Amino acid sequence: MGKRSIVVLSSSDDDAGECNDNDDDFSSKSSSSFFNKPKSRTVSVPRTNPKGSKKVRISSSRSHPGKNVNPFDEMKLFCEDFGESFTGFKVSAGNRKDNKELWLDKYKPSSLAELCVHKKKVEEVKVWFEERICITKDDHCNHVLLITGQSGVGKSATVHAIASHLGATVCEWNTPTPTLWQEHIHTTNAGLRYMSKLDEFENFVERIRKYGLISSSLTGEQQKPFIILIDDLPVINGKISYGRLQQCLHLLVQSVRIPTVILITDYSREDTADYTSRCWEDLQTFLQSAGACKVAFNPITVNSTSKTLSKICREEKLRITSDQIDVIAKASGGDIRHAITSLQYFCLKSGSIRNGFHKIDHLDDGYTLPFGRDETVSLFHALGKFLHNKRDTENCTASDSFFIKEDFARLPMKMDTPERVLSQAHGQARPIADFLQENVLDFVHEEAMDDAWVATSYLSDADTLLASLTGVKYKNYVAENIIQSTAASVAVRGVMFGNRHPLSSRWHAIRRPMMWQVEQSLWRNKKEIIGQRTTAYGGLNLSDLSIIATEWNPFLKWLGFQAFEDSKRHLGSTSGQMVHYDDDRRLVDGDDDFEDEDDEIENW
Amino acid sequence: MLWVDKYRPKTLDKVLVHEDVAQNLKKLVTEQDCPHLLFYGPPGSGKKTLIMALLRQMFGASAEKVKVENKNWKVDAGSRTIDLELTTLSSTHHVELNPSDAGYQDRYIVQEIIKEMAKNRPIDTKGKKGFKVLVLNEVDKLSREAQHSLRRTMEKYSASCRLILCCDSSSKVTEAVRSRCLNIRINAPKENEIVKVLEFIGKKEGLQLPSGFAARIAEKSARSLRRAILSFETCRVQQYPFTSNQVISPMDWEEYVSEIASDIMREQSPKRLFQVRGKLYELLVNCIPPEIILKRLLYELLKKLDSELKHEVCHWAAYYEHRMRLGQKAIFHIEAFVAKFMSIYKGFLIATFG
Repeated sequence: MGKRSIVVLSSSDDDAGECNDNDDDFSSKSSSSFFNKPKSRTVSVPRTNPKGSKKVRISSSRSHPGKNVNPFDEMKLFCEDFGESFTGFKVSAGNRKDNKELWLDKYKPSSLAELCVHKKKVEEVKVWFEERICITKDDHCNHVLLITGQSGVGKSATVHAIASHLGATVCEWNTPTPTLWQEHIHTTNAGLRYMSKLDEFENFVERIRKYGLISSSLTGEQQKPFIILIDDLPVINGKISYGRLQQCLHLLVQSVRIPTVILITDYSREDTADYTSRCWEDLQTFLQSAGACKVAFNPITVNSTSKTLSKICREEKLRITSDQIDVIAKASGGDIRHAITSLQYFCLKSGSIRNGFHKIDHLDDGYTLPFGRDETVSLFHALGKFLHNKRDTENCTASDSFFIKEDFARLPMKMDTPERVLSQAHGQARPIADFLQENVLDFVHEEAMDDAWVATSYLSDADTLLASLTGVKYKNYVAENIIQSTAASVAVRGVMFGNRHPLSSRWHAIRRPMMWQVEQSLWRNKKEIIGQRTTAYGGLNLSDLSIIATEWNPFLKWLGFQAFEDSKRHLGSTSGQMVHYDDDRRLVDGDDDFEDEDDEIENW
Repeated sequence: MLWVDKYRPKTLDKVLVHEDVAQNLKKLVTEQDCPHLLFYGPPGSGKKTLIMALLRQMFGASAEKVKVENKNWKVDAGSRTIDLELTTLSSTHHVELNPSDAGYQDRYIVQEIIKEMAKNRPIDTKGKKGFKVLVLNEVDKLSREAQHSLRRTMEKYSASCRLILCCDSSSKVTEAVRSRCLNIRINAPKENEIVKVLEFIGKKEGLQLPSGFAARIAEKSARSLRRAILSFETCRVQQYPFTSNQVISPMDWEEYVSEIASDIMREQSPKRLFQVRGKLYELLVNCIPPEIILKRLLYELLKKLDSELKHEVCHWAAYYEHRMRLGQKAIFHIEAFVAKFMSIYKGFLIATFG
C-alpha cells in the first residue's frame, strides 16, 4: 500500500500513523496510536485529526499495490499526505484542545516514570534497547525483541516511552486496513492487482532486510537511531499462510540490523479453541527459537492501575472515592486502557459528581458496573469449582418452595449457579464433559460407589445429548445452542448432584482427558489396519474392521505369520502393554489447548 | 494360505453350511436377472463366502480375478470438493468396498461410486448392456444420510448396477433400503455344522482328530465358523497330534475383558472404576468395537454373578448399550455401566454379608 510504504520509509511516520489510527475506533486501535505529547514528536508535521478528508485518502490509497510504487510516487504521496494533514489541521485543532479529548490520549505515558508497567519489565526492555542502540554495533547479537502480553498492558506504550527516552525514532508497521470484498471487486475491475496483507508484510520485511531504512536519509534525520515496531502481524489463515509468515519472520530475525520489536497480543485463555490464536502461540515459540528475545508482560496489577487512575483524577480534579477507583481497576482485569476508558465514561455518566454520588455508591458492592468487562473464570477454575463441589454445611434457607425427598435434597452450593460459572468460563459442553469424566472419580469418596454411578450416569446423559447434534443435515443453530447448554448443564449438575460425599478439599491436579489421546491412537490404529487389510490378507479380504480386530489379529498372532509382524505389534498382550500414551497427561493450568476433533487428528 | 481362505467354498454347489440358501441363490441368478440383495447375519456365518460364490455363479471365473485399488475420489459437493480415499476390490464385473471406512463422508462415496459405475457398463457377450455388481460391506454402519442417498441411487441406476449389501444386523438398515432388496438372512452355523466343517478340513489336511475335539472348538467359537477354523488352525500350530483335552486358547482381548470382569468383582470403588477405565481404553485403542466390549463384559460378569442380580444387571447393560448407540463417546456409557454394576454388586454384598 502506498501509504504504508511512506510510513516506513519516511521518518514522518509518526504522524501518518497517527492520522490513520485516529480514524479507527479508539478502543480497539489505540494501542498502536502514538504519543500525544508534543515533546515526543520528532517531525514537524502537525498532528491532526482530519476526520473527513482522511477517510477518503485511506480508501483511495488502498488501490496502490505497495510494492509497485516507485520512490517518486512515494514522495508524491507523502506530499499529499502532508498537505491533507495540514488542511485538516485547522478543522480539528479546535476539537483537540477541548477537554473532551480522550483521556487515553491525554494521559499517554511519555516518560518511563509514567508507565504503570512493572518496573522490572520496563528495565528489561530498556536494557535491551540500550545494548542495541547505544553501546556497540556488534553483529552477533540479535536484533529482534518479542513482547507479549494481553491487550492493554502497555506493550506499545512501553516501546514508545523507551524510544523517546533514548531519543530514538520509532518506525511502525501497522497491518494495512483489510480489504472488503466489494472493494476488491471494484479495484479488480479497475485493473489493479489484489495484494494480500501477507504479501505486503513480506515485501516490507524484504525491504527492511535489504536496505534497512536507507531512505530515511532523505529527511536528514541520520543521527537518531531507529526502532522498528511491528505491532500487528498480518492475520493469517490456514497452514500455508502460517508457513509463509513463519518463513518471513525467520528471515527477519536472522538478518535485520535495526532493533526491531514485534508485539504479539495474547488472547485470553478461554478463546484458545480458536485456531488462529494458537498460531500466535506457536509463532511466539518459533520466534524465540529463531533467536528473538522475549519479554512477557503481565496484566497490570490492580494497585498500579488504581494509582494511575487516581493520578488522572487528581489532574482532572475529579472527586472519586478510592473505592470506586478500586472497583474500576479490578473490573479492568489488568487492562489499563480499558480502565482509563471506563474511568472517563464513569465520570461522564455521573455528570457533575456531586449529584451523582448517591447513585454511584451502589457500585461498591461490586456486583455489576454499568461498564467494564464481564468477569471471567478460567476453565480450570470452573472445573475445580464443580469437582470440589463445595457446599454449605447446613441448609440455611428452609425449604420454602417445595418439599424434596431426602434422597434428592442437597445442601446449597457455595458458588454461583453452575450455568453462570459455565458462561463465565466460556465452557463448551464437549470439553467440559470430557474433563469432568476424566476427573470426577478423583473427587468421589472412596466408599461412595453409588455416587460414582450417579455422576457417570449423568455424564452418559450429557454425551447422549451432545451426540444428538451430529448428523443433523440442516443445522438449527438455536436448537443446537440450547442442546449444548443443556448438555453442559446436565454434565455439571449431574456431577455435583451425584457427588454427595465429596472428598475434603485437597490439591488435585486436573488431568487432560485421556480420551483425547485414546481417540488419537484409535484413529491411527484404524487407519493402519485399513491400510494393512489389503496387503496382509492375500488381497481377497475386505473384512470389517471389527472382525479384523477381534478375530483375525489375535489368531494371526498365534499363527506367527511373519508377514503380520506389524499388526501384532498393536494388540497389547494380556499383561497390558499398551500403545504408548504421551506423558503429558498431567496438565498445568496453563496449557489447556483444546482442539476440536478434526484439528486434534491433524495436529496432535 | 490360511485354512479359512483355503477351504472357502468357491462355488455355490460346494457350500457346506448353508446349502439351502446356496441352492436358492443359484436358482435365482440362473433363471433371471437378480434383484438387489441384502445379506445379513452374525459375523462368521458365511455371508461373504456366499456372496463370492454367487458372483462366480453370475460371471464365471473372471469374477475371481480381482485387483485391489486405492482409489481417490473427488466429490463435488456444492461449494467445495472433497477428496476421499478408499480401498476397493474390483473385477471386471464387480466392485467391493467398505463405505463406512470413509467415516462421516460415507454418503459421498455411495453416490459417487454408483454414479461412476453406471457410466461405464460392461457389454456382455450378446452385445447387450450388462450390469455391474456393487458389493457394499457394513451397510449397518453407514450413516443415516448415506443410507438415504443409497436409496436414491439404487432407484436411479437400477438398470445398470445391482447392489449386494452385507451387514451384521438388518435392524440398522433403513426400512427404505431393506424393502428395495431381497433380504437373505444367514444364520450362524449350528455347532454340529461347524463340527462337520472342521472334520472336513481335518480330513483334507490328513489330521487325526480325537473325538470331541472338534466339538470343543465349535463350542468355544461362539458359533462363528471363521473363528472356529482359525482356532482350529492355531491348535494345529500349537500342538500336533491333538489331544482331546488340549487347551484352546481364547483370544487375547477376551482374556483381557475377563480380567477386567474379575477386577470389577474383586473391588467396587471409584478408584477401581478408574483403573477399569484405563483398561477399557486399552481395548478401545486396539479397535475392539465398544459394543463387543460391553457385550463380552456382561457375559463375563454374568458368569460369576448371583442369579438374583442377573436380571437387573442385564437391564442396565441393555440400557447403556442403547445409550452408547445414541451417544458419541462409548467410554462414557461403558463406564456408567461398570459404575452401575459396582454399585449394585456392592449393595448386594453388603446386604448378604453385612
